[in-house]
Amino acid sequence: MSLLQVENVGVRFGGLQALQAVDLAVQEGEIFGLLGPNGAGKTTLFNVVSGLTAASSGSVRWRGAAIDGLSSHRIARLGIARTFQNLRLFNSLSCLDNVLVGLHQHGRQPPLAALLQTPTFRRRESQLRQQALELLSLFGLDTAAHQNAANLSYGDRRRLEMARALASRPQLLLLDEPAAGMNPSEKDDLKNLIRRVRDEFALTVLIIEHHVPLMLGLCDRLAVLNFGQRIALGSPDQVRHDPAVIEAYLGGTP
Amino acid sequence: METGLLVQMLLGALLGLSVYLPLRCGQLSLATPGFYAIGGTVAALLSTRVPALGSGDAFYPIASVLLEMALAALLTGVLALGLGRVVLRLRGIYLAIATIALVEILRVVTLNLEFTGGALGIFGIPQPFSGPEGYVGLTLILLAVVCWLCDRLEKTRPGRAMAAIRDDELAAASQGINTADTKLLAFVLSALVAGVTGVVAAHFLNSWNAKLGNFDASITTLAFVVFGGSRTWLGPVFGGLLLTALPELLRPVGDLRLIVFGAVILVGPLFFPQGLITPQLFQTLWRRMERSAVPRPQEGRP
Repeated sequence: MSLLQVENVGVRFGGLQALQAVDLAVQEGEIFGLLGPNGAGKTTLFNVVSGLTAASSGSVRWRGAAIDGLSSHRIARLGIARTFQNLRLFNSLSCLDNVLVGLHQHGRQPPLAALLQTPTFRRRESQLRQQALELLSLFGLDTAAHQNAANLSYGDRRRLEMARALASRPQLLLLDEPAAGMNPSEKDDLKNLIRRVRDEFALTVLIIEHHVPLMLGLCDRLAVLNFGQRIALGSPDQVRHDPAVIEAYLGGTP
Repeated sequence: METGLLVQMLLGALLGLSVYLPLRCGQLSLATPGFYAIGGTVAALLSTRVPALGSGDAFYPIASVLLEMALAALLTGVLALGLGRVVLRLRGIYLAIATIALVEILRVVTLNLEFTGGALGIFGIPQPFSGPEGYVGLTLILLAVVCWLCDRLEKTRPGRAMAAIRDDELAAASQGINTADTKLLAFVLSALVAGVTGVVAAHFLNSWNAKLGNFDASITTLAFVVFGGSRTWLGPVFGGLLLTALPELLRPVGDLRLIVFGAVILVGPLFFPQGLITPQLFQTLWRRMERSAVPRPQEGRP
C-alpha cells in the first residue's frame, strides 16, 4: 500500500480548472518530486493534501484511508507536515518558539500540572525545549534561537520553516519550493540536508521545486504537471527524456 | 489618592485583561462589557432579591459574593461557549462588529426588562465591607489570580498556540493546532474574567444599570490594551490602571481633561504602536541591568 495516494483529484476555482484528474502514489521512504511550469497546479495539490483546499472531485488516501474533508490540523496530526511557498513563519515569535509550536501535538500536559508547575511538567517542558534546540542546530540555527523569526535572513527563514515542520515528527514532509531565493551553494547544501533529514527521521518527502537540475539529482521519482494535468511520471531519467515534458518546458519538439 | 479610585483602577486592569485574552489570539472581541454587565446584573439581582444570601445582615457575607462570582462565571462561561462557536467563525473587524451587537442587545434587553429595573437599574446593593479598603483587597486578590493564570497561560502550550494563531492562523492549523478550540478557550476565559469583575463592580458601585455595559465601555476597555500593549499581560494591566486613573487625576485642568485624555489615547499608539509594555522592553531593560552589573574591562591594558 502506498503511503499517500492521490486518486483522480480535480480542483476547480470558478472558471479555472486548477487540477484535473491527477493520479499519483507516493511510496514510503522515497523523495518524490513535483515539477511543472508556473500555474501548473503544484501548490494546489499540496493544499489539497494538507487540507487547506477541498478537492472538487477525486480523493486523497493516507495509508489506504480517505483523508479528504478532514480539517488541516487533523491532517497534520496524522503525520503530514508542510512548508509554504511564501514562508508562513510566526514572525513575532523567536525561532525557538516557532519550533516549539511545531512540537504542539507532542507537548500536551494536564492543565493543573501546567498551572502548578509540577516537577513532571517542568521536566517535560525542558525536554521539549531541548528537542527544539537540537532541531535548530541541525539546521544551523542554534545561535539564532532567541531571535525573532522576522529578523532572519531569507535562507535561514526557509530552514527554520523546515525545522518547524520536522518538529511535529511527520511521516510525510511536503516541501513547497524550499530552494527559492537560495544561492547555488545553499541549494547544494539543501540537497544534502533533505537527504540527511529523510534518512535520520525515516521520512517520505514530497517536494515542489523549479530548479530542474536539483530535482533530477535529488528525487527518486518525479511527476510533471502542466495546466493542472499530470503529463509525466517516472524516474528522473524517464522524465528528462519525456517528449511531453520537453514540449511543456521548451514549447514544441522539432 | 482616593481609595475608591484605586478600586476602579484595579477593576479597569481586570477588564483590560478580559479584552487582552482574545486579542492575544488575534481575535478582536469587544464583548467584554457585555459579560461584565451580565456579571453585575447577576450580583445585583441575587444580593437584593434573595434574602437567604444575607442581604439583611449588617455586612453582606463574603461567601455570598463568592457564590455570586461562581454563578456569574458559570452563566458567562456557558454563554461564551455557545456564542463563541458561532461568532469566532468571523474574522477581524467582522468579529468586532458581531460582539458590539452582542453588547448592544444585552444593553437593550436589560433596559427593557422589568426585573432588571429598566432604565433606573437596581439600587441598594448590599455592602460586604465597611469602606473601599475591603474592595481594594478583594480586587487585588482577583487581579493577582487572573494575572497568575495569564502568566501561566502565556508560558505554556495553549499560550504558544494562541500566539501562533495571532501571527498566522493557517500556518498554526498546519502545525496540528485546533484553531477553533484555542480561540474558543481565549473567548471563554475573557468572558469569565469580565463576569467575575462585574460582580465585584456591582457591590462596589452600590447600584447597577444598563448603562454600565455599553459601546463606550467596549472602546474604553479596548483602549486599555491598545495603550498598554497586547503582547504580555502586564500591558493591559498597566493600561487599565493608568487610563482609569487619568481622567480623575486630570480633574484640576477642568473641562480640558477629556481633550487631554483623548490626546493621550491618540498619541500613545502613535509613538508606541505595540503598546507601552512589550517583551522587547523587558529584554532591553534586562540587558542594561546585566551590563551595569558586570564591571567593564579596564581600558589601556597591555
